[in-house]
Amino acid sequence: MSPVILQILTLTGLILVGAGCQESPTTHHSKRKLVITGSSTVAPLMAEIGKRFEILQSGVRIDVQTGGSSRGIADARQGLADIGMTSRALTSDETDLHGTAIARDGIGVIIHTSNVVSALDDGQIADIYTGRITNWNAVGGADALIVVVNKAEGRATLELFLKYLNLINTEIQAHVIIGDNEQGIKTVAGNPNAIAYVSIGTAEYDARREAPIKLLPLGNVPATLETLRTGTFPLTRPLTLVTKAPPSGLIKTFIDFARSPDVHDLVTQHFFVPIQS
Amino acid sequence: MASSRMLDSDHLSAIAVWTAACLVGGFFLWLLSDIVWHGVAEISWEFLTTAPLNAGRDGGIGPILVSTALILLVCMVVALPIGLGTAILLAEFTTDESLFGRLIRRSLDVLAGVPSIIFGLFGNAFFSVTLGLGFSILSGGLTLACMVLPILIRSTEEGFRAVPTDYRLSAAALGLSRFTTLTHLLLPAAIPGLLVGFILSIGRAIAETAALIFTSGYVDRMPESLLDSGRALSIHIFDLSMNVPGGDAKAYASALVLISLLFAITTLSAWIADQWLHRRIIPV
Repeated sequence: MSPVILQILTLTGLILVGAGCQESPTTHHSKRKLVITGSSTVAPLMAEIGKRFEILQSGVRIDVQTGGSSRGIADARQGLADIGMTSRALTSDETDLHGTAIARDGIGVIIHTSNVVSALDDGQIADIYTGRITNWNAVGGADALIVVVNKAEGRATLELFLKYLNLINTEIQAHVIIGDNEQGIKTVAGNPNAIAYVSIGTAEYDARREAPIKLLPLGNVPATLETLRTGTFPLTRPLTLVTKAPPSGLIKTFIDFARSPDVHDLVTQHFFVPIQS
Repeated sequence: MASSRMLDSDHLSAIAVWTAACLVGGFFLWLLSDIVWHGVAEISWEFLTTAPLNAGRDGGIGPILVSTALILLVCMVVALPIGLGTAILLAEFTTDESLFGRLIRRSLDVLAGVPSIIFGLFGNAFFSVTLGLGFSILSGGLTLACMVLPILIRSTEEGFRAVPTDYRLSAAALGLSRFTTLTHLLLPAAIPGLLVGFILSIGRAIAETAALIFTSGYVDRMPESLLDSGRALSIHIFDLSMNVPGGDAKAYASALVLISLLFAITTLSAWIADQWLHRRIIPV
């Protein structure tokens, strides 16, 4: 047989044998490894908290995976993850799980800086999202069709936004469906007639770095990290760590660490508001 | 009169063909220069070797390059032998009309068009959960192997079919066994097809995000074994540009590295195939 094919087959064998050998130490170590999955809003922060935790507790590995809040809930329930991440509080269907808030975030409505509209009331926002208002001139803007940007199904931001406006997702007349926060900001930055809703921290950060977007006040409260901190902003959400059983052992140590003042600098760095415990 | 009209249509079609070709080249150059323009300032030895910091806004992509290489290695080591075997079966041992061959070919064509997120969900359900591999480089590589097999098999099969039947008849007339004919004559002659399949597969695998986010995962630490989760370069770029505020500069730099890698792999595999072809066919 040709030597190249032989080499390939040998390599395949080696890899499979190698995988077999590695199986035992990894399962042996599995008590010292935490798998955390879920919300893409929380994931970057959690990865940083995990790195700091690994330095403090040698021999512990924190593996952070992303994919959205629904996945965090599902993985925690199935046991695929030790801890799930959601960017909202647990709902009444999720009483089988245990949640701990580690930081606070708000959801704000963003439009392009060239848009003359400076405020929308809740009714107008609901009308825009349900397609009853389709032109900016109906809310004091220029004569241009509104491009409605909505979040994908399964995203906590979507659920909270709909709940705040008393809407259901099937009523929404969206033109663009997005996943993560930065995608929403880039969509609005590239389209002067678009409207979207994203995490306030992310939007404030990008607006400060000269992305052409502006945050609109919600219920007459300006959307800033400051109004989030004082608790006056109406649409906020706790970033929550979820476990199947009440936290104990290493899981409890980690969750306690993630809400302790030791990581407040990381929380602020990611534009969220730390929980004061 | 007639000849001048012919000339006109000749000119027209020449213009059309040239415009099309220039458009393709122009788009590629535009894309490339955009990435180079934004990304080249960040590229340094340190960027290529150190670990990402602060969610990827600072630091480099060292562990991510290692994970990407391991995922590709697992993918190709699994996909190449299976792909080659199936292609040989389809091209040399089944006829166009046989039910079995038609069934396999039809399944492959459908599989080739399945969106990668479906492979990702399948990989998550089968490799990560059912086989218990969890979020690991192994799950990711195996999922990618499933994803690239259809392209690999079909283009390798075309490579075998492009070899003239005379070769097989001559080999049979000389009394060569089918196995010898295959390894010494058909395989080297089918190398261009295999190479096209290999390059397309590598290109699809290295650019893949959807199939990997649920299988090899998001962890940006240096992997210690194939059972560790490891973030692929494409997922890193996706996360930096879509999820991490202020991650754009590093996203561009990572994209530049990705494109350079793709270019290097393509060139290298073409060169190796060239060498092999010369060694095999000419001296015999």
